[in-house]
Amino acid sequence: MFGPVVDNLVAQLSRLPGVGTRTAQRLAFHLLRVPKEEALALAAAIVEVKERIRPCRECGNLTEEELCVICSDTRRDRSVICVVEQPADLVSVERTHAFRGVYHVLGGALSPLDGVEPSDLRIDALLARVERNGVSEVVLATNPNMTGEATAAFLADRLRDRTRVTRLASGLPVGGDLEYADEVTLGRALAGRREM
Amino acid sequence: MVVAHVRLRDFRSYPALELDLEPGLVLVTGPNGAGKTNLLEAVHVGAQGFSPRTRAEAQLVRFDADAGRVALAGSEGGSRVETEVTIVRGEGKRLRLNGAALASAEELRARLTALVFVPDRLAVVKGGPLVRRAYVDRMLGRLEPVQASLPGEYGRALAQRNEALRRVRAGLSSRDAVEPWTERVVELGAFLDRARAGLVAALAPGFADRAAQLGLEEAELRYEEEPPTREALDARLERDLRRGTTSVGPHLRDVAIAAGPRELRSFGSQGEQRTAVLALVLAEADLQAERRGSPPLLLLDDVLSELDAARRGALAASLPAGAQTIVTATSREAFPADGPEPALVVEVRPGEARRA
Repeated sequence: MFGPVVDNLVAQLSRLPGVGTRTAQRLAFHLLRVPKEEALALAAAIVEVKERIRPCRECGNLTEEELCVICSDTRRDRSVICVVEQPADLVSVERTHAFRGVYHVLGGALSPLDGVEPSDLRIDALLARVERNGVSEVVLATNPNMTGEATAAFLADRLRDRTRVTRLASGLPVGGDLEYADEVTLGRALAGRREM
Repeated sequence: MVVAHVRLRDFRSYPALELDLEPGLVLVTGPNGAGKTNLLEAVHVGAQGFSPRTRAEAQLVRFDADAGRVALAGSEGGSRVETEVTIVRGEGKRLRLNGAALASAEELRARLTALVFVPDRLAVVKGGPLVRRAYVDRMLGRLEPVQASLPGEYGRALAQRNEALRRVRAGLSSRDAVEPWTERVVELGAFLDRARAGLVAALAPGFADRAAQLGLEEAELRYEEEPPTREALDARLERDLRRGTTSVGPHLRDVAIAAGPRELRSFGSQGEQRTAVLALVLAEADLQAERRGSPPLLLLDDVLSELDAARRGALAASLPAGAQTIVTATSREAFPADGPEPALVVEVRPGEARRA
């Protein structure tokens, strides 16, 4: 509608998650309006991350170096590995300040319907790490949804004989109410109950 | 829910309608094709957010209009409610409850309860196991809201496993990739199977009582708990791989609806099948009233026509007290004279409905 150049920008923006055509148009007009430097700074930032950021050789987290900040931190406990689906999940676990081990980013979760096979995830790399480094525990922190649970089950079957495998507890939300819990949640909470 | 006022705009055969209703028994009369069922359907759309007759919602909009609307005012469990459902051709529908927009019809269903009998519902008895499973799973959602997502979750686990099987068959994947989905199917399948068995067990006595009142003796609703096991799935793995589908689990179970030794699906008369569906609706209404503390709105379309006089009388006498029940009939006379006096008779003519 505004010529191929603007249309292309709108089309590229609307490929971003959560951005529809209308939002893409609004963003495009915003970029047309702002000073040139501001728009170019955004473009440069995109180029820079794509050129400089790569997966950590060890854990798959995002990094500018060979090893990510966590893997290169000598204070972290290398004998405990927390397995997550995406780098964003790693950030969430880090925010708790309750985990002092290292991570392993799978890059997704098993889902035949989406064509995601074990070979599409960094599973072999995880098994190799466990073999190599004398790992005493693997914490499976994949999402507590259908695909995350299946991925955790798949990993547990492969790791069980080599090391201790744990799964993040799933159950009742803090501040919740038993009366409103569904049976799946309550059933799992009961299965995962602990001594007091 | 008790509906006090219905407002329609370009809904099916109604260009515009304003109609006050009364609690208790509402009898909707009029000749065939006048729009009795459309009125009942409109109330269902207003209370539950969807039509019991069709999934093609554009059909609900009057033929030459762009948008149709149902607005209800009434009460649920003593508190005032207003709903508004707008269907825009080509755009879908918008729902409002007490002025606030709702994201989905489920939110409306979680708040308001209505149960419907339409002649299509005979498929619950007459149709294949698929129809009965789907019906039981919907009842599960209505009677045990915390379990409402279970059938869908099980369905997703099953779809993943089936796809995993097909990918192995096509050489795109390895057998061990099926394993984690087998586990999901076993876990969720056991929950679903137990939930269904629990629901059927809770409904069965009421179903038998209601059926007996309507003249169908020894009526039985049965679902034996038979959760899928690891062993059963492993034993059939080869076969499942060949076929690309999972051959054990709640997605293949059936709910038996019988009278004595006879399965009504194959060995019931049309009248008995109709009675069974009606008994099921009434039993569910009783259970809802007991669990929620307030009875659901009952919408009964054309229930009287195929019942003999004795059964019509029994049905009229057994309509739940204290609830609002809207019943359609071709004339006032079709409703048994010895039955309860309707609180209101509505006369329907093409495009309009008014209090008699």
